[in-house]
Amino acid sequence: MNPLIFTTILMTVLLGTMIVMMSSHWLMIWIGFEMNLLAIIPILMKKYNPRTMEASTKYFLTQATASMLLMMAIIINLMHSGQWTITKVFNPTASIIMTSALAMKLGLTPFHFWVPEVTQGISLTSGLILLTWQKLAPMSILYQISPSINLNILLTMAVLSILVGGWGGLNQTQLRKIMAYSSIAHMGWMTAVLVYNPTLTMLNMLIYIMMTLTMFMLFIHSSSTTMLSLSHTWNKTPLTTTLILITLLSMGGLPPLSGFMPKWMIIQELTKNSSIILPTLMAIMALLNLYFYMRLTYSTSLTMFPSTNNMKMKWQFETKRITLLPPLIVMSSLLLPLTPMLSILD
Amino acid sequence: MMTYIVFILSVIFVVSFVGFSSKPSPIYGGLVLIVSGGVGCGIIMNFGGSFLGLMVFLIYLGGMLVVFGYTTAMATEQYPEVWVSNTTVMGVFLLGLLMEVMLVLYVLKGEEVGVVFKFSGVGDWAIYDTGDSGVFSEEIMGVAALYSYGAWVVIVTGWSLLVGVLVILEVTRGD
Repeated sequence: MNPLIFTTILMTVLLGTMIVMMSSHWLMIWIGFEMNLLAIIPILMKKYNPRTMEASTKYFLTQATASMLLMMAIIINLMHSGQWTITKVFNPTASIIMTSALAMKLGLTPFHFWVPEVTQGISLTSGLILLTWQKLAPMSILYQISPSINLNILLTMAVLSILVGGWGGLNQTQLRKIMAYSSIAHMGWMTAVLVYNPTLTMLNMLIYIMMTLTMFMLFIHSSSTTMLSLSHTWNKTPLTTTLILITLLSMGGLPPLSGFMPKWMIIQELTKNSSIILPTLMAIMALLNLYFYMRLTYSTSLTMFPSTNNMKMKWQFETKRITLLPPLIVMSSLLLPLTPMLSILD
Repeated sequence: MMTYIVFILSVIFVVSFVGFSSKPSPIYGGLVLIVSGGVGCGIIMNFGGSFLGLMVFLIYLGGMLVVFGYTTAMATEQYPEVWVSNTTVMGVFLLGLLMEVMLVLYVLKGEEVGVVFKFSGVGDWAIYDTGDSGVFSEEIMGVAALYSYGAWVVIVTGWSLLVGVLVILEVTRGD
């Protein structure tokens, strides 16, 4: 793609999300979402093969439907409250429709079906943008309307997302689908605590973005999109096997690593609000997630995975420039002692 | 009938939307878009917005739809689908018509219609001219406000249109 046009389109994606996050008028928020959607389509379609076109079409259709539902909720809110400012949504119908629309944009169950298919069809870098940057805008709107969200609907969607994200990723060997199911599960964790303490949602979002950025960049660095291809990194760059091990265990939420911080805080906040069964269920279902991360680490770092002899060497492409990988790795594994920092997110 | 003109126009509006949503060939979709554009213009004019209604005719129908018609005519197939040619298309069209007819009967019969928001029958659709708009027309003041208070909206919309063109060119360029 022409670099000038690519830069323009990328900047428009950023502008769309910024407009969503900084507007006080519902119409501008809707415009921001549409601008974001419009501009990310050519980024998803960077390579011109039928798979990317199908993936971008699926993404466009689901996100456009979600935008339509959002507009409907905005208009119902306008009819009942007579104003366009972002506050809590007072009408329950509008609130439910808006929550469903934002859940479709995030990829929460039962609207999660597009996430693995779209992530699988696009290149690794586009998948990176899709799973990290695109989650910021809907989450910021959910944060702003959090006082008025119907608790039952949101908690149902959250728990089902954690279940689907864990269960659906179990049989996958394609790395992009694994990251997609991981994204669904993490979105479930984030929205579960949204009504109780939205600061923890932001904390979880921050840590999730750091870990997902790290994982994707490690995959880009070793040019691998399948588990088998990833298991050959011991041959190319032995150091990244350790880094993949640490980051994956952090994503699974194991204690001394920073991925434990959001899960710990969320479970603590939920138990403070006298719900015991819910965080127990969530923690148990997070084990499903941990299982397929462990399988990735087993095949990549802990064993020399069996393959035929002529496949053991990976093609030595020229080294890709990966931005900020060392700081990201450090942040996604060693942040746990800095847990009190979540007070800055208020 | 003149008191209920907005209601009648809105029914024709919805019927033409059903007409192109049932997906005949784009040529016929453009045909009902012309009808719906004209009817929409009528609805806006009944609320006092003569400038905006005429702008619908001029820019939307006379500019955008003409270009759409030309491009579709270039890309059309030998036997385009009409509403009666394909069972699925006709089925969807009839289903939409049926739902609209049921809604109209519900509105005409009942005192209060409460689907998501309540409005009291057909009477709520009639426009009461309160007549206290003052010297200036409200709607022209609205258009003027778009360029003064709403300058940010104009900038954002203009940028979206520019990026829309770039995106479409990029997507259809192929390899």
